[in-house]
Amino acid sequence: MVDPTRFAGVHAGGDVITTRLDALVRWGRKSSLWPMPFGTACCAIEFMALSASHYDIARFGAEVLRFSPRQADLLFVAGTIVDKEAPILKLIYDQMPEPKWVISMGVCASSGGFYRSYHTMQGIDEIVPVDVYVPGCPPAPEALIAAVMKIQERISAGEQQKQPQGANRVGASGEGAHDRRARRQAWAEDDVARVSQGLSPRGELPGSGTERG
Amino acid sequence: MASPTSAPVGIDSPELRRISEQLGSGVLSAQEFRGDLAVTVERSRWLEAARLLRDDPELDYRLFLDLCGVDHGDDESLPERFECALHLYSVSRGHHVRLKAALPEQDPRIASLCGVFKGANWFEREAWDLFGLVFDGHPNLTRILTHDDFVGHPMRKDYPIGKRHLLREPRRNLFEAPEDGEQLLVNIGPSHPAMHGTFRVQALLDGETIAKCDAEIGYMHRNFEKMAEVRTYWQIIPYTDRLNYCSSFMNGHGWALAVEKLLGIQAPPRAEAIRVILSELSRIADHIVCIGTNVVDLGGITPFFVMFRAREAIYDLLDACCGARLTVSYVRIGGLAQDVPGEFEALCRRALAAVQDVARQADRLLTENPIFAKRFRDVGVMPAEDALSWGWVGPCLRGSGVGYDVRKDHPYSGYEQYDFDVPVGAVGDCYDRYLVRMEEIRQSARIVEQALERLPPGPVIVDDKRVALPPKSEVYSNIEALMNHFKLVYDGILPPPGEVYGYTEAANGELGYYVVSDGSKHPRRVKVRPPCFNIYQAFPEMITGGMLADAVAIIGGLNVIAGELDR
Repeated sequence: MVDPTRFAGVHAGGDVITTRLDALVRWGRKSSLWPMPFGTACCAIEFMALSASHYDIARFGAEVLRFSPRQADLLFVAGTIVDKEAPILKLIYDQMPEPKWVISMGVCASSGGFYRSYHTMQGIDEIVPVDVYVPGCPPAPEALIAAVMKIQERISAGEQQKQPQGANRVGASGEGAHDRRARRQAWAEDDVARVSQGLSPRGELPGSGTERG
Repeated sequence: MASPTSAPVGIDSPELRRISEQLGSGVLSAQEFRGDLAVTVERSRWLEAARLLRDDPELDYRLFLDLCGVDHGDDESLPERFECALHLYSVSRGHHVRLKAALPEQDPRIASLCGVFKGANWFEREAWDLFGLVFDGHPNLTRILTHDDFVGHPMRKDYPIGKRHLLREPRRNLFEAPEDGEQLLVNIGPSHPAMHGTFRVQALLDGETIAKCDAEIGYMHRNFEKMAEVRTYWQIIPYTDRLNYCSSFMNGHGWALAVEKLLGIQAPPRAEAIRVILSELSRIADHIVCIGTNVVDLGGITPFFVMFRAREAIYDLLDACCGARLTVSYVRIGGLAQDVPGEFEALCRRALAAVQDVARQADRLLTENPIFAKRFRDVGVMPAEDALSWGWVGPCLRGSGVGYDVRKDHPYSGYEQYDFDVPVGAVGDCYDRYLVRMEEIRQSARIVEQALERLPPGPVIVDDKRVALPPKSEVYSNIEALMNHFKLVYDGILPPPGEVYGYTEAANGELGYYVVSDGSKHPRRVKVRPPCFNIYQAFPEMITGGMLADAVAIIGGLNVIAGELDR
């Protein structure tokens, strides 16, 4: 057992503690995170396991799940985000009061996972900033606990939330192997070329009543 | 498609004889492949044929299962590029049928079946959205899975798989509220605790009563079916896990059985018994989540915490078998990835004990709880006839009093050896659906106990070089096995050309896979017949005229899983 009176700032046998105000605020913040689960898919089931009795997120002071973004400061994005859902995620994020943190749970939220397809967002950092990425499909609850602890470390170190990595970006993350901007550009040009030749864009047939709707 | 097309007379089937008698020259061809009867009719007779199948007392196909489009691309052996396929089931005669019609590329039009089956509505919208098939007479042929700014029809073969379109502005209103201002338009979801993040319902409220209601889906449309067309038959197994992720093992089980049906092989008895054990435990885990979250939505947190304990015990078992808790990828075509570990039986018994304990406690917390009963009794009543027309299956259909269970009526994986009962409800309300689920938990535990008692020894994967990888010891020691391994990994499984509809009883009911193979390593088309899609389709109509608070009680009890609903 550590004697609390040995620490600087502890006086009168532990009855009086002096500290800096921001350290106290950070301590309060990190010990009472209010998460908002934005659960859409499989990861949400593992998130349930995290909040249920066995793993018990309450041990880390983050058990007060709020389903309103206005009452939450930690956004768990648990599950695949598709293009149809993306504006809603952005809206939810914007509605959260500062300071706020975002955990991207699982590979779908982080990078689109193995759904490299026509309707799946290739990582939520296309639209919202992410503080901690948790790999796994879905991640085990232990990994999520580690993510919560990472956020707590960042709070006690006084770090601010990360800036959007790719707020103005369309498509997948960064340059290199996963960059799809070139391909996207090529498709767009191909569509324009087809239309100028009197053809319909790919996936559409002329005169069959199947125009965009 | 390259499968042999034989004249209708070549098949000895009373169903086909009856259809041919009634439709005459409307029947263009018929095939029987692996026991599936498929009838191709002229597209001008489509509506008439569907009515005949439903209404003729000798046919009686009243359970609507599935309707989907198929794009055959540039297959020269077929008269037309597109096909529309309808799957129906006759509960009274226990028979599946597939009705097909070919549609030309330039004019993919066919009559809508909305007037025949209630459930056809959303399926036809989906076929329009993904394939661009036009259904004449459809009341609301709009996009359903993709968003409003989407251009093109993504499941067509010439649509690039990764071509995305940005949604600039989501649709604010699903329908317009009347001007007089007396009624209130309320948007519920998709980010709403009762809507589980992915469903959206808009309700026009008159006081607390829902006067009008509409639902929108597609918030989890992550393109399983398109991805399946660029994967080999093995590689699809992990994707199936993520359909109904509450009970992922059962989806893989169903997929393996469908492909085994296509290949004409059967897994060894030990593999089948282990599949049954894990499937039944997955069913229990699924029902636990359904009941637990349903009660959380109504404000009771305790049952959720109590019931999740049994789920953790089941997770431990799956973890020991394959190293994953939720998305297991444990089945293989023709068997299982590996044999179960030594402590399998002990872990099973531990999970069973936890399940029995949880079922007892849930009875005390819920079944005998008057508040819970008041929220559930006579709420969300679904008559049996409507349930069939919507295409309801599984616990929801059985709650309405129709005792159709694939495990009993078309036993697979050796279900005929086990003694179990199929519970059915009397009223078809939320309470009946809850009771059916609770009883299924107990019956599944019974099946697991019986299967554990007589778990046969032997291999867990079929001894067939076309589908099963050789053992690693062989691969490292002899050249034939090495080559076999290489070819199988590189080329994948090559099934014969043909199409099958494989179906199993998943946690939410009949989960079907309609697989069209052209003989190559990628399937030409994989259509999941998702139980949730039919079930959720009925939801707006069910809650109209009821209280808003009842809608929350109803949706939880339907157990709609987004991964399966939107795929």
